[in-house]
Amino acid sequence: MAGKIDDYLAKLERTRVWRSVFRGGTGSSTLRRALAIQQNVFLHLFSTKVRRRMLRFNATWYLGTLTLGTFLILVTTGILLMLYYRPAVPQAYADVKDLQFVVSSGLFLRNLHRWAAHTMVLLAFAHLFRVFYRGAYRPPREFNWVIGIVLLMITLLLSYTGYLLPWDQLAYWAITVGSNISATVPVIGEKVRFLMLGGHQVNANALLRFYVLHCVILPLAAVLFIAVHFWHIRKDGGLYVRQSEPVREPAKEDESVELEKV
Amino acid sequence: MAEEKKTTRPETEQEISRRSFFTKMGLGSLGIASAGTLAFAYRFLSPNVLYEASPIVNAGQAESYEVNSVTLHVKSAIYLVRLPEGFFSMSAICTHLGCMTAWKQDLGIIACPCHGSHFSREGKKLAGPAPKPLPWLKTWLSDDGDLMVDRSIVIHPLQFLRI
Amino acid sequence: MTEPKDFTAGVGSDIKKSQKRVLFVTRRTSAQVRVFDEERVQTYPEALFRAALAIELLTIALVLISLFFNAPLEGLADPTNTPNPAKAPWYFLGLQEMLHYFPPVVAGVLIPMVLVIALVVIPYFNVNIEADGLFLKNRGRRLNIFYAGAIGLSLFLWFFHVYVALIPTLLIVAIMLVAAFSSPASPQPLRRYLASKPVSWWVMTWFLLELIVLTVVGTFFRGPGWSWVLPWRS
Repeated sequence: MAGKIDDYLAKLERTRVWRSVFRGGTGSSTLRRALAIQQNVFLHLFSTKVRRRMLRFNATWYLGTLTLGTFLILVTTGILLMLYYRPAVPQAYADVKDLQFVVSSGLFLRNLHRWAAHTMVLLAFAHLFRVFYRGAYRPPREFNWVIGIVLLMITLLLSYTGYLLPWDQLAYWAITVGSNISATVPVIGEKVRFLMLGGHQVNANALLRFYVLHCVILPLAAVLFIAVHFWHIRKDGGLYVRQSEPVREPAKEDESVELEKV
Repeated sequence: MAEEKKTTRPETEQEISRRSFFTKMGLGSLGIASAGTLAFAYRFLSPNVLYEASPIVNAGQAESYEVNSVTLHVKSAIYLVRLPEGFFSMSAICTHLGCMTAWKQDLGIIACPCHGSHFSREGKKLAGPAPKPLPWLKTWLSDDGDLMVDRSIVIHPLQFLRI
Repeated sequence: MTEPKDFTAGVGSDIKKSQKRVLFVTRRTSAQVRVFDEERVQTYPEALFRAALAIELLTIALVLISLFFNAPLEGLADPTNTPNPAKAPWYFLGLQEMLHYFPPVVAGVLIPMVLVIALVVIPYFNVNIEADGLFLKNRGRRLNIFYAGAIGLSLFLWFFHVYVALIPTLLIVAIMLVAAFSSPASPQPLRRYLASKPVSWWVMTWFLLELIVLTVVGTFFRGPGWSWVLPWRS
C-alpha cells in the first residue's frame, strides 16, 4: 500500500505539470534539495544550508519559528472570523455574540484567535530577550534586530487594534484610555487622537478605523517585515552561533569529560 | 571652435550638470507631490460631519435638585451640584485618561475607577495621577426654568449660578 | 525501482562542505581561523521539517487551550459606565501601572518611546557590543557612573512613590554590587558568572525584571480604583 502511494507520488513528480510548478526538479540529491529552497519564491528567503548545531532546540528554542506559527494561525482564523463580523455599532457586539453562540465552530475560532494572539505577544517578547541574551543582535545582524523591534511594535499594535473589535466594555474603555494617552502629547496630541478615532469620542468611526488597521494595514506590514526579517537571516550569515558552542554533539559521556579536562 | 564651446558652456563653479539638474527637479517635484499627498491624506482622515451628541444638555428643573446635592447625569457625563452658594456643573470625565468618574456619597469625594484619582465636590484634585481639576462647564437657566449646560465651554471654577 | 547507475552523483558528496570565505586582514591584526569544518545540513528537509513540526505542536497546544477555555467577552460597550477596575490586556498592564504614578505624557508616551529607541540603538553602540564584564575595564570611572546612576534612579522612583519599580531596581543594584566586587577568577561559579556580564546585560536584565514585576502587579495585585489588593484574598 505504502509502496504504491510512493510510486504514484514518484510518477506525479515526473509529470510535466509538476515540473512546471516545482522547477527545482525531483529526487533527493543535494542539488535538488538546494534547488527546492532556491527556486521557490518564499523559501528562497532562507539559505539552502544551515549549521547543524543551530537546529538543536537549545540554540534558539524555536521562538522565532513559533512566533511565525502563531501569526499563521491568526491570519487563518482572522479571515474566517471576518466572514461573520460587521465593524459597526452596535452590530459588532451582536456579531461576536453570534460567533460565540450561533455560528458552528465560531466559539472555537474566536478562542483560537484570542489565545494565539496572546501567545504571539508572549513569544515575540521571549524571542527578543532570547536573541539579546545570546548576543545575536551584534553586527552584522544589527539591522535585523531593528526589524525585529518593528515587528514587535506591529504585534502590539495588532493586539491593541484587535482589542476594540468585539465592542464590549473592556474594549471600549481600553481604547478610551489608549486614545487619551495619545491626546496628552504636546501640541499635536489632540489632532492625533481626532485622526485616530475619526471623531471626538470612541464610536463607530473609531471602530471602523481600527478594523481597517487590524485587518488590512497592519497584517500587510507584518508580512512585509517578516519577509525582510527572514531574508536578513540568510544575508547576515545564518543564525547567530556562539563560538563556544560545540560544533558536534558530544558522542559519549566519558569523551566529553575528557575533552573538558584537556 | 574651443572658444565657441566655452561661451555656450561656461566652466564656472556654479555650473550644474544636466544630470544633477534633472535629479533636483525630480526630487523637488516628488517632494511637492508628497507634501500634497500628506495634506490630502490629513484632510481625508478628518471627518467633516460627526454624528455625535449635541454639547448642550438640558438638566431639568433647577428646583428638582436639593441643596448640597451632587447629581451625576450618566448619559451626558456631567455632574450637577447644588450648594448653598448656587448651582454649577462640571464634567464627569476624569482629566487623566477619560474614564467616567463616580460620586461617593459616603466619602464625599468623586473617584475615578481607572487609575485611582480623587476629586473634591468642587472638582479639585485630592489624590491620584489626574493632571487637572474637573473642568466647570457653562451653565445657565433657560426661559422655562430648566438648567442648561454647554459641555464644550469650560468656565473658571467657583462661578456659581445663583437663582 | 530504477536500475542502479554505474556512477553516483550528488547525494552526500558535498553535504559536509561549507562555503569558503576569503578574508582580507587589514591593520596589524593577525589572521586566525576560529571555526572550520562547520557541519551544515540541507534546509530542505532538515530545518523546514523541524520548523513545521514545532508549529504543528504549537497549533495542537493552542487548539486544546481553545477547546477548554473561552475567550473573555464582557457586556456591550457602555460609555456611561466605566468598569472598576478597567484593565488593559495583560501585556499593557505594566504600562497601566506606570500610568498610576506618572502623568500620562510621561508614562504613556515618553517612557514607551524611550524604551523603543533604547532597544533600537542597542546594536549601534560599541559599549553594547563588548562582551567583557562591566567593572573589568576603567573600573574607577565605571563604578562612579554606576553609583550615580543607581542612586539617581532609586531617588527618582522613591520621590514618585513608585515602590513597585523601586524594589526590583534595588535588587539589581545589589546584585551588581556583588558583581563589582567579584573577580572573574573567583572560585564561586555564580560570582564568576556575574563578574563577566557587560553593561547591556545588566540594563536588559533590569528591564526584563521590571517588565515582569509591573505586569504581575498590574494583573494580580490591583483592584477597584487601582488600589492594592491581594489576589488570594478576594
